[in-house]
Amino acid sequence: MKIDFKNFIKGIWRENPIFYLMLGLCPLLAVSGSVRDSLGMGIAVIFVLTGSNFTVSLIRKFVPSHVRIPVFIVVIATFVTITDYSLAAISPQIHRNLGVYLPLIVVNCIILGRAEAYASKNNIINSILDGLGVGIGFTIAIFIISLIRELLGNGTIMGHQIMGANYTPFLIMIMPPGAFLVIGFLVAIKQGIEKRGKKC
Amino acid sequence: MKKKEIIGGVLILTIITALSGYLLAQVYKTTKPAIEKQKKIEEEKVNRGIFPDGVEFIEKEENGVKYFSVLNSKKEEIGKIFTTSSLGYGGYIKIKVGIDKNGKIKGIKILQHNETPGLGAKITEDKFLSQFKGKTAEELYLKKDKSEGRIDAITGATISSRAVTDGVRKLLEKINKKEVRSEN
Repeated sequence: MKIDFKNFIKGIWRENPIFYLMLGLCPLLAVSGSVRDSLGMGIAVIFVLTGSNFTVSLIRKFVPSHVRIPVFIVVIATFVTITDYSLAAISPQIHRNLGVYLPLIVVNCIILGRAEAYASKNNIINSILDGLGVGIGFTIAIFIISLIRELLGNGTIMGHQIMGANYTPFLIMIMPPGAFLVIGFLVAIKQGIEKRGKKC
Repeated sequence: MKKKEIIGGVLILTIITALSGYLLAQVYKTTKPAIEKQKKIEEEKVNRGIFPDGVEFIEKEENGVKYFSVLNSKKEEIGKIFTTSSLGYGGYIKIKVGIDKNGKIKGIKILQHNETPGLGAKITEDKFLSQFKGKTAEELYLKKDKSEGRIDAITGATISSRAVTDGVRKLLEKINKKEVRSEN
């Protein structure tokens, strides 16, 4: 079995699911208004993605290609439900804030996308690395976005007041359009850094 | 597609679905006690926030209305906690209302809402909620709606503020009416 750590790194920077693949934007818009909720979401995605990539890679040789999509969906739904129950048992507050977006990870295109494009064609270790990398890439992206949105839109980080008491919150930032604005700026910054790197 | 391929696909899908069903049943069984415990802890936390001097909170039901009877350390009832909902700007707002023995508001807490972040969502802040303490039904109007009103609306969120105020008042009126009737 050939193990390549590039599979882990690429999901974080070059093929970041949010900034490059532009996948999974729907839950991102919904929960990135608060840092605490986004970390919960990120951890849930890492767990589901790694678990589903592992399982899909494990069974890839037995699953005929014409039933692969339903099989992948069943595998993903199983991991999402496990996450749903566990989160409810560990932190009911985050569970309540994530609301419907937690079960909706089932249809999050990052996860089906990695199962179909990567895990169904590669060995177990590389698939786990790919899942971890993409999951961590998603978490970093949602963390940065929520940091900016919560700070500008509410004057707080993790619920602690950062901006002075006289700060007038920039309300649009905690509403869904704010997420689009932040994503746009961050994608531009990432592209800029990559272009500069190529010139040198 | 050959017959054999179809049967193979069906077989694989069935096996995987059955396995995942079994796995989920196990997970459900293991996490269920923890989830219920967390729910109880949370419920108690909210109740204690409303009645800090309450020692015991006993779930009761009267005429189909569920509530918590609050007992102090001498096992006397010092109040009741009800749950009500009221239509706000973005859907129903679920409110927990503590009522003391004199039929006044002891405290309220927002359990669930879907109001606009940064505006209507401020109904969950203490600055707004603490205004309800000690109020009677007659005082539970927004200041701008009625001269007897004692509640300040949140700037830019009149509809949400009014929804909470009206919801709490309607509940209080209903409860007090019932108490009078049962005393007669």
